[in-house]
Amino acid sequence: MRYLFVLALLCIVSACGSAVAKETVEWWQFWTDPGIKPTIEAMIRDFEAANPDIQIKVTDLTWSDGQEKIVIAFNAGTAPDMLEVGSDWIAQLAANGYLSDLSAHIAPDSNRFKGWGMVTYDGKVYGKPWILGTRVLFGNRDIINQTGAAPGFVPVTLTQLQKSALAIQKMRKGEYGWGSNTAEKHRLYKKFLPIFWSFGAQLFTDDNRYCVISSDKGIAALTYYKYLNDSCGYVADQRGVEDAFLDGKIGYIISGDWLLKRIELENRKINLMTTLIPGPKYPGKSFLGGEILVVNEQSKRREAALKFIDFLTSPANQVRFCKANRSANPSSVEAQADPYFAGNPHLVTFIKQINSAICPPVDPDWPLIEDVIEKAVEDALFGRRLVATALRDAQIQITALKSHAKP
Amino acid sequence: MPNRKLVSFLYGLPWLLTFVIFWAFPLLYSFVIGFTDYRLLQRGYSWVGWGNYVALFHDPAFLSALKNTFIFVIGTIPATTVISLLLALMVNRRFRGRGLFRAGYFVPSITSMVVVALVFTHLFSRGGYVAMLAQMVGLTPPANGFLYDSGTALASIMAMDVWMAVGYYMLIFLAGLKSIPDELYEAAEINGASSLRQFVSITLPLLKPVTLFIIVINSIKSFQVFTEIFVMTRGKFDTSSAVYFVYEKGLTTRYDFGYASAAAYLLFVIIGLLSLAQFALFRQRKKLSW
Repeated sequence: MRYLFVLALLCIVSACGSAVAKETVEWWQFWTDPGIKPTIEAMIRDFEAANPDIQIKVTDLTWSDGQEKIVIAFNAGTAPDMLEVGSDWIAQLAANGYLSDLSAHIAPDSNRFKGWGMVTYDGKVYGKPWILGTRVLFGNRDIINQTGAAPGFVPVTLTQLQKSALAIQKMRKGEYGWGSNTAEKHRLYKKFLPIFWSFGAQLFTDDNRYCVISSDKGIAALTYYKYLNDSCGYVADQRGVEDAFLDGKIGYIISGDWLLKRIELENRKINLMTTLIPGPKYPGKSFLGGEILVVNEQSKRREAALKFIDFLTSPANQVRFCKANRSANPSSVEAQADPYFAGNPHLVTFIKQINSAICPPVDPDWPLIEDVIEKAVEDALFGRRLVATALRDAQIQITALKSHAKP
Repeated sequence: MPNRKLVSFLYGLPWLLTFVIFWAFPLLYSFVIGFTDYRLLQRGYSWVGWGNYVALFHDPAFLSALKNTFIFVIGTIPATTVISLLLALMVNRRFRGRGLFRAGYFVPSITSMVVVALVFTHLFSRGGYVAMLAQMVGLTPPANGFLYDSGTALASIMAMDVWMAVGYYMLIFLAGLKSIPDELYEAAEINGASSLRQFVSITLPLLKPVTLFIIVINSIKSFQVFTEIFVMTRGKFDTSSAVYFVYEKGLTTRYDFGYASAAAYLLFVIIGLLSLAQFALFRQRKKLSW
């Protein structure tokens, strides 16, 4: 009897042992919105059902302090196996050896996904683009029509945009031609750089060694941006500008696909127009960023994490995610061709804009460079320095930063 | 007897452990890393001696933040102290509904700073109530709102801070007023002293310890101004403060803990010296007149 009891106990222990042998992949992610969280949870359940040997332990982060938590966790050696990070964090994390080199793993996917420029640092790929983010031009067609514009008018050049915005302003009905972002960290440069790049200006020389922000084209771009701001701009933070636009007070703004989601969720009655960023040659350029899935260099569950990354970024799951999130920027080329996007002209605008969007340099010093750019734009916009002086000073500072750069 | 000592020590141990782990060690550690180039994301660090402190005195962002902090302190402390004293004198009188006034003035100081800052962000915005009030009295408000203009942003935050703080300090002044014996005022009245004379010769001198407490506490609090700046302007439009600078350097951009620690200790020294100066000033005046 005693032997039987011991045998039964051994069986139970071994059964528990096989359950414990399940690999648990820890994942930190930012999608906490009640609209999308159930989809994230459902995808995890589906993955676990298809991979019974892997369990996903998810931790939610917020954009307000998520980056701090990630940095502290890496510093303390307690970072999870896999993380969702912003594209502009890649260089700092990769340069300090915190991210796993995924070059070999993603090689077969190189033509099937977009956004590799954001995750490539020093010739190696450190993440897989998941959900991309770009900016397009939004217009309020009711306001534009009041200026006597031709039906269906869409500004395709920067001159047309300027004329149309000024015409709205001249109506003097309390509407503004242009929504202008105030000095807002991490946001201002994403609004200015599309215009900057559309003017054909560059931040750095092609070999990425020298800053050329104060080129003639750069000065022309900031002069144009300042002119829109001074002559017909409604200045507020991003939320304030978007609120005013949705309230029918602004003719044109540059914004991202979250605004489409807001319009739908808040049931806003706005006669919306979206188009690609105008430029001397249509279409102009835009900003490209996004959510990247990365693996911790210290992770002991790298293969399981990569399996989950491939699952999340699969075309079917990207479409599923975008439908739930009402967003339009899957990184998968196959997902971008899904009829869901083709059926909505505004989503199509975003899909198209990705093709002419540029990501900022993947540089560990980008946060500092970004600060300098925003300070220059801010000073020029609010009249503290002349456009040319602001950009020249920025060029000197960025050059100094790069020459003293240490990761 | 030794057992009694041991028991006392054990009773004090939880506090001692908390103090050592969460206060003393971080304080000492941050002092040490203030002499290094330690960054959160960087593996390893090196000793830079006084390098961070020297760099701070050449950093226009730090100097500007320090200047703004001094403006904030110099601008808010006298206003807060005088207004809260006047309010205390007012609600110390007997009149119908004074409890309501006391509560009304005190409510802002128990409201969350974030909530107040968000409300005032709207009040100060373009077309907001403050802009409308300014227009009503013939003033031209800043085109983009009070918080998006370098000339008015800091002053606006200071005004909000004074509004929020006066209720709390009013209550402390009120407690001070209650502790002054009525006999002193009765004797002064018999001797023919006017209300102003009574205020200058009795109220003010006897409120001196309370005033010192308020000025020192409010100075320390004002030197640490952060939340309102974080919520309302994110340090833009010449509103960055010393603590906001520490936050920006230490917890954003490059997570430069060494540099941020040096800035924090410099601020600590400044606050300490000013507090000592305030104590010394009051002690001196006591010898001279009071």
